[in-house]
Amino acid sequence: MMDRISSVVVDSVAFSRTVVGLMTRPYETYRRIVHHGRPGEFLGIAFLAAVYFALASLIKVAAFRPFLFTEQFISLFMGAVSGVLISAGMLRLAGRFFGSATTFHALLLAWSYTLLPTVLWFFSTSLLYVVLPPPRTTSAPGVIFSLLFIVFSATLLWWKITLAYLVLRFGFKFDLKRNIIVAIICAPVLAAWSILMYKWGIFKVPFL
Amino acid sequence: MKDATYEKFVKRWEEVTELPPQTLGPFTGFYKFLTKRFKVMPWPWFVGMSVLFAAALYLLLGSTITLLTSILQKGF
Repeated sequence: MMDRISSVVVDSVAFSRTVVGLMTRPYETYRRIVHHGRPGEFLGIAFLAAVYFALASLIKVAAFRPFLFTEQFISLFMGAVSGVLISAGMLRLAGRFFGSATTFHALLLAWSYTLLPTVLWFFSTSLLYVVLPPPRTTSAPGVIFSLLFIVFSATLLWWKITLAYLVLRFGFKFDLKRNIIVAIICAPVLAAWSILMYKWGIFKVPFL
Repeated sequence: MKDATYEKFVKRWEEVTELPPQTLGPFTGFYKFLTKRFKVMPWPWFVGMSVLFAAALYLLLGSTITLLTSILQKGF
């Protein structure tokens, strides 16, 4: 029991350190994740995502209906899990095509950390949906809010792109050309997954 | 104690030099200039690029930008 508790504490500290590192020193931090990442850190990301899914389910159901809430939560969670597994699986397959021996688990942990900007964006957007529900008008305050929202969204997108590139760079140790080819190989599958999630009404914006 | 420190140093050195340097022919300098900014505290660059992106989008779409925000806001 004590071993389990101390393991959870160690994983939590490692996860917190990594989150701060990804914000301040993403390059160094990704090197550390690939070499010394602990599988238990994955639980930290899963926990953050679960908190977001609970909030999103509450907002979407908008009433005290436990069955609908649970159904919504499970569909969001399963949708996200399928996205992470497909992303890591596709990366593994594309990497193997170029002779990389990186394991699926290493890629899964490295890729799951790229969900931080995603969770942050979805979390903020769902809170903003409650505070300032859409649609935005073309008045001056509406345009100013829109500009600020787009700056915020684009900032998180650049962070996401940087982290995704570092997964490829440190995960496979490929050069830029091969990393771009790997991304091009994975893109159609992830696009198909995004369309499927949209059609099923799980994620309108891809949770990748 | 000295040996342990040396071993730690060698291990760290091997980790750091494990990745071959990226070269892009005539664009290598530009690549290094760009990536250097993203390695440590990249936020000022992220925000700067995002401001430019939002300004370009506003010049392109005008007040229709609010429609894009409305769609994104419903996208969670």
